[in-house]
Amino acid sequence: MASTEGILRAGVRAAPRRGLPPWLLIAPTLLLLAVFFLVPYVNMVRMSLLVKPAVGAYEPEFTLANYARALLDPFHWRVMYRTFWLAGLTTALTLLIAYPVAYHLSYAPRRRRRWLLMLLISPLLVSLVVRGFAWMILLGRVGLVNLAVQRLTGHELVLIGTPTAIVIGLVHVYVPFMALAIAGALQNIPPDLIQAARSLGASPWAAFRRVVWPLSLPGVQAGTLLVFVLAVSSYVIPILLGASNVLVMPMLIVQTLLDAFNWPLGSALSMVFFGLTAAVVALYLRLLARGMPWTRA
Amino acid sequence: MDARITGRGTWLAIVVTGVYIFLIGPMAIVVLAALNAGDYLAFPPQGLSLRWFIRAAQTEPFVRSFLFSLKLAAWVTVASTLLGTAAALYVVRHSARFRNVLRLAILAPLQLPAILTGIALLIFFLATGIGTRGMRALFIGHTLVSLPYVFLTVSAVLAGFDRSLEEAARSLGAGPFTTFRRITLPLIQGGVISGALFAFITSFDQFPISLLLVSVGNSTLPIQLFDYLRFSFDPAAAAVSTVSVLMSVVIVLIVDRLVGLQAVSWGAQ
Amino acid sequence: MSSITLRGLTKRFGAVAAVRELDLEIQEGELVTLLGPSGCGKTTTLRLIAGLEVPDAGEVLFSGRPVTALPPERRNVGIVFQNYALFPHMTVWQNVAFGLEMRRESPRLIRDRVAAILDRVQLHGLEHRYPRQLSGGQQQRVALARALVMNPAVLLLDEPLANLDARLREDMRFYIRQLQREVGITTVYVTHDQAEAMVLADRIALMRDGRLQQIGPPEEIYRRPTNAWVAEFVGLSNFIPGRVAGRENGLLVVRTAAGTFTCAGEAEAGRDVLICVRPEALRFDETHPNQLRGTVRERVYLGNLVDYRVEAPGGLQLRVQADPSRAVAPGRAVNLSFDPSAAWAVHAREA
Ligand SMILES: Nc1ncnc2c1ncn2[C@@H]1O[C@H](COP(=O)(O)OP(=O)(O)O)[C@@H](O)[C@H]1O
Ligand SMILES: [Mg+2]
Repeated sequence: MASTEGILRAGVRAAPRRGLPPWLLIAPTLLLLAVFFLVPYVNMVRMSLLVKPAVGAYEPEFTLANYARALLDPFHWRVMYRTFWLAGLTTALTLLIAYPVAYHLSYAPRRRRRWLLMLLISPLLVSLVVRGFAWMILLGRVGLVNLAVQRLTGHELVLIGTPTAIVIGLVHVYVPFMALAIAGALQNIPPDLIQAARSLGASPWAAFRRVVWPLSLPGVQAGTLLVFVLAVSSYVIPILLGASNVLVMPMLIVQTLLDAFNWPLGSALSMVFFGLTAAVVALYLRLLARGMPWTRA
Repeated sequence: MDARITGRGTWLAIVVTGVYIFLIGPMAIVVLAALNAGDYLAFPPQGLSLRWFIRAAQTEPFVRSFLFSLKLAAWVTVASTLLGTAAALYVVRHSARFRNVLRLAILAPLQLPAILTGIALLIFFLATGIGTRGMRALFIGHTLVSLPYVFLTVSAVLAGFDRSLEEAARSLGAGPFTTFRRITLPLIQGGVISGALFAFITSFDQFPISLLLVSVGNSTLPIQLFDYLRFSFDPAAAAVSTVSVLMSVVIVLIVDRLVGLQAVSWGAQ
Repeated sequence: MSSITLRGLTKRFGAVAAVRELDLEIQEGELVTLLGPSGCGKTTTLRLIAGLEVPDAGEVLFSGRPVTALPPERRNVGIVFQNYALFPHMTVWQNVAFGLEMRRESPRLIRDRVAAILDRVQLHGLEHRYPRQLSGGQQQRVALARALVMNPAVLLLDEPLANLDARLREDMRFYIRQLQREVGITTVYVTHDQAEAMVLADRIALMRDGRLQQIGPPEEIYRRPTNAWVAEFVGLSNFIPGRVAGRENGLLVVRTAAGTFTCAGEAEAGRDVLICVRPEALRFDETHPNQLRGTVRERVYLGNLVDYRVEAPGGLQLRVQADPSRAVAPGRAVNLSFDPSAAWAVHAREA
């Protein structure tokens, strides 16, 4: 009996040695990431420090001039400010809209939850261009929104080409992300906690405010971060719904790179933009952490 | 839980219904616009017809970029499924100390703005001459951002996998490869297929990276549609868009069948 | 403080009837344990009392006043959940103060009451810890304090010790018992552990498949089970099948394959019954009038006692638990006897 077990165990333990070493499983992925992700980003950092000659892409000569140009041009700062403002507004609105959806989803009966998830995830898989196009149809001069407003008030309301249109489009794109992130956190709240609060005299609203909401903050954090980072770097929606009237950083960077063919400056702008985004995110995380002391302890 | 305990009211149902209409409505509008029989994108549609689908199918750039996108997405799917599954197996099974670092590294292409990744790749490809713009460059760029989805879905099913099943197979005389093929793979295949589908749609719909890496004549469908929309605005674009809408619906239904949307929803961000 | 009355309480979850027509009367200040196997409806009963579930039929009354229509926050019940349900984002102090805040008590009163109850459960000095910085026993006491600080009319505990290790569980039983006596609060205590129920209860209510099987003081449950299931569930029991021959001196006379025995119980002549005899009531001697012969088949040493399997006539397998001082070797033929008052007949078909 004991010896059979011993043989079995020895066999199982010895077996992996017969196979190939397990790190072969991860090697190709790491290679891909190193060569085509890490190196290109490092190269971009290098590029941002190179000289842009009058003719040609770059000179292998180091300079900080690109950063000076990127940072000193007030025009860049206006675009930067607009980009962050639109992304911040998008994030706030997305949170406002997605939270009830997440709450509803989390407490829905199993079978209904399946259907709700389908409704939430299907738009997520539709191409960004298509979603932008859908809003072009709705918000344009001959769009449904304008037609409805005209019939009701007699005034025109053409949103295409305005920051409003961009925010509407972005919110539409990011609501599912936010809702899933928050629902993930809500799922982790044991129902007992809500019942404990209720039995201690909390009204449904008080139980929500004092128990559910604070415990969903990790999901809110994950969702807002994700949405903010995605919104700040969004390109398609601003270009389609802003109708090239509203310039945001990713558009400016792409223009600098492709139209002005200035790789060093485009790279420097990317780095500045990236650094600022990281700074905003870090600041935000700091503030949020203060609101969640229990996660630190 | 009893509704009386959680305190869900009708107001919540109303608000949430509004949000779902906001989410789904525009997609429905696109499909409706594509079925419009009139000459312009106008509402209400002037009758229903399939003429704009036929028109789109006769527009050579659409057809070519559609086929190109399909081919690209297929290759990307194969590569990211193989690499992502292997990576998930390693990270869940064999990594101990570096697990979090590896996860972060593999998911990094999702965390960093795709447009920046596209720019970095563009400069890199042009500067080094490794791959020029076109299929090869697109394949690499798309695989970077598709692979994480396979990794996530496979990791999710592997996390709930009972390893004693494999040990039982090994103790019954199956070799490592046979065990993987006969035991492991059948049990994780839902996650693998879901991941593959997500990888496919990620590549098929990919925009920012494609924008920077396409070349003339090697355009993907989203890019082609984007270019088209900048100059013309007619129901043919809606017909092309409908393809994307239908594809997403089909994929959601399949994934729901295979592993259940719940399984992939919470972890897959 | 209130008494609790349950009348015809029924709760279904789809096809499952978790609680069926439950009638129960709990006196003021009494501690009743709901005892039964997992899934028998104990938690559901507790939740019905708390107002966390709405019954399909029946009534819940506190001190004769119907509360069936009241939401949980208006019933003034204190609940200790199995996993404590401490708010992870609040400190010990905030957890305990939560209910008083919900009641909009003055900050001064909250301060005094919270401090007092934390002293009482010996958590002084841990006020500013978060739950996950506490041991299981400490968390348990926070949960108790959080419920008790409200001066609830009734205290409801759902397997409060199930997540503690064995040693701590024993200590906590006595601790809870003592605390309950001091506070004098009407308490319903759910458990699937019969030893726990024995230690704690004024009365034990035994449940099976959503139905009440028996309610009574621990000793009565142990000595006078109403059916074989109860006898088997609470402690170990031997069952000797037989038929009632008549009555003699207030005792039943039962004919069995192993002989004719007298025992306590209620049954008409001609009834098929099972005589329940606890393993410790069977003795290896002839001191008692009920006597039978058997052969020792197996012996297991349990430390404070020795557990024997004895084969008796009619294929009867008996368990005998005896003092380790007098060892009986396996294979030996033995005389056994038991006291008629320590044996109890129950109806056979309910087994
Ligand atoms: N919320 C619920 N939904 C469906 N079935 C439930 C629910 N709560 C309890 N049940 C069922 O009711 C029965 C009794 O459960 P419970 O009261 O939790 O038993 P106990 O606490 O005695 O283990 C079980 O069969 C359980 O599966
Ligand atoms: Mg229970």
